Amino acid sequence: MLGRLLLAGLLVAAAARFFAGYPRGGARYRHLSRREVAFLNASGDATFPRGGAIPASGSDANVAGYTDRWLAASRPRIRVLLHLLFLLVEHATIFFPAPGWGGWRRFTALSPEQRIAVLDGWRCSRYFPRRLVFTSLRAVLTMAWFAHPPVMRQLRVAPLAIPTPVCEADLLYPPIGRSPDAIRFTPADLSPPSDGTPLDLDGPLHPAWAERSA
Amino acid sequence: MTVAPGEGDVRVWAQYDRDFHEEADAVVVGSGPAGAVAAYELTRSGLRVVLVEEGPPFTPGDFELDGALSMARTMREGGLRVTRGTVMPTMQAICLGGGSLVNSAICVRAPDFVLDRWSEEFQLRETTRADLDPHYDAVAGFLGIAPTPENVQGRRNLLFRRGCEKLGYAAEPIQRNVRGCRGSGECFTGCRSRAKQSMDLSYLPAAVRGGARVLSSARVERVLVDGRRAVGVSGRIVAPFSGRGGPRFRVSAPRVVLAAGCMATPVLLHKSGNLANGSGQVGENLQFHPGVAVMGVFDERVDPAFGATQGYQSLEFLREGFKLETLWAPPAVLAVRMPGSGARLKDRLAWIPNSAVWDAIGSCNRSLGRVRARRGTSDPQLVWHLHPDDVPILAQALFTLCEIFFAAGAHTVVPGVHGFPDEIHSLEGAEVLRGGELRASHLVLGGNHAFCSTRMHGDPARGVVDEHGRSHDLRGLWIVDTGIFPQCPSVNPMWTAMALAHRAAPAIAAGA
Repeated sequence: MLGRLLLAGLLVAAAARFFAGYPRGGARYRHLSRREVAFLNASGDATFPRGGAIPASGSDANVAGYTDRWLAASRPRIRVLLHLLFLLVEHATIFFPAPGWGGWRRFTALSPEQRIAVLDGWRCSRYFPRRLVFTSLRAVLTMAWFAHPPVMRQLRVAPLAIPTPVCEADLLYPPIGRSPDAIRFTPADLSPPSDGTPLDLDGPLHPAWAERSA
Repeated sequence: MTVAPGEGDVRVWAQYDRDFHEEADAVVVGSGPAGAVAAYELTRSGLRVVLVEEGPPFTPGDFELDGALSMARTMREGGLRVTRGTVMPTMQAICLGGGSLVNSAICVRAPDFVLDRWSEEFQLRETTRADLDPHYDAVAGFLGIAPTPENVQGRRNLLFRRGCEKLGYAAEPIQRNVRGCRGSGECFTGCRSRAKQSMDLSYLPAAVRGGARVLSSARVERVLVDGRRAVGVSGRIVAPFSGRGGPRFRVSAPRVVLAAGCMATPVLLHKSGNLANGSGQVGENLQFHPGVAVMGVFDERVDPAFGATQGYQSLEFLREGFKLETLWAPPAVLAVRMPGSGARLKDRLAWIPNSAVWDAIGSCNRSLGRVRARRGTSDPQLVWHLHPDDVPILAQALFTLCEIFFAAGAHTVVPGVHGFPDEIHSLEGAEVLRGGELRASHLVLGGNHAFCSTRMHGDPARGVVDEHGRSHDLRGLWIVDTGIFPQCPSVNPMWTAMALAHRAAPAIAAGA
């Protein structure tokens, strides 16, 4: 009887840890659950806190939205691995707790200081597999943060608007997924090749990275 | 349905609506640098050629400028392929043009000492400097291979030259298959200026003009044999990106030329019934050029986004086992290596406008691995181990990069090595890198270039093909990708692979 009660208690505790207390509402994503969105925002803000030379935080940069787009572009096997990665770091505090009170709680339930300490624990671990997990998560968060146009503009690394000459190959290949009927160029459209004029970093940006006018 | 080859064309995913069979004089598997050269040269010699490529052609509108999304579209396994053993990311493109669409167009001839070693140790009597130079020249003429012009080098590349000059190290502008570079630094996500002469813009249109038929989105699953002779290939049409299966196809040809890449060709041979493997060498001897990268921070503005992706190199240390070069990539990809987290990390990322990244690739001939087929997928299983005796090569390369940075005026160097200082502020501080404490697991490696998994050897018992790419075991079968290199070439392999394919073409044409 006692054993059953203990088991039931453990199951309730596990269910609470895995499912209870995550924020409701907010944007809906194709591949990410709200628990994963909370984890990505928490780990994104721990990695890229608001303020400093480049003000945007992880959640300001919508790391969850980018990650969802990346998952959509990835093969199913990669998607599964990434879901497992998020789950692992969220709950591995049972085995690698944060310093301070309640350090064994899931990652998203920790204080901001504890989250940073947990990530540093992964980053500086003497065990290569733990560092590899950190590197993988950091890669996802970094890619997502850098996809935020203001970050790229502030670092002067945003793509420029570059005119693309029409060459012979453009008469052969349709856009991916379309039939050759979608090829919109004819020999009359061929243009002179690039003349090698260096780009001007102060020139106009690619529209996707340009600052929106008010 | 049987389709008789006629005028050249390119077929894409949307055009396949049923199973089909084609006949040709030669079928080439893979449209990367070696396959494209082979297809063009065979077409030029009057053969009916079908070239089969698993990836789709990319138009400029299909390019993704974001690094991760670009890799998810242009790379096998979404760009997340890693080796087992020594864990190291390595990439293989899946697109028309292969790696040439997303590489930085570096062209370097294999050095004399490498060719001498290949010739002597692997019984390759006709693979000398004098034998190969005419083929290098022919490829160079076609692609316009030339040194990177000064006006598109950018500060990031010129600082490397400054550092090398101060130290007395040889340095030179990198030769590339580029015409009219504007210095966008976007080689890895596709050249929007159409300046890079990737295979989809150069050799393949020329081959199509000559009558070659290109089947894109077509995954070859088997090499077909009749007795001891290769007679064609079969496979399945696959949707771009998702890999969803479509109709089946077969191409019958008396000449089968495999150029699927060092990691895919052995898998194809294994899955075809362990073909061409009398030597037992198919999938063995896998080598890479493991790479390390270092970031340096300067007082002056560098603006690293401008300039040829990789515009300068030093071949000074080739005999010591490493090559040095400048580097640019989507900033997020480079920033992944930046140490720290939180505010400290953001402070370091704010250095980017004043920073440059340079890298080294190692000639690690003792570090070997293997390629195996995996069940239920065409992706390979890669096992590779960095040999402990090769670690000091990379340690010395890291130190030398730091040395060049400080000579060029950097005030801080970020070596990106676990267990060592996150930042180094003096050359004396960099000595720790070559102090003997460095282990393979401390390094963040990148698996640049892959070789040797179907190596050429004059002795049929010790190699898969002869020095013209001809299978020792199976008539009608040639391999021309970098898998046939007997050892790593110590420099970027594309030009050598193309030169070898150029040399093999007449033998293939004559050898049905």
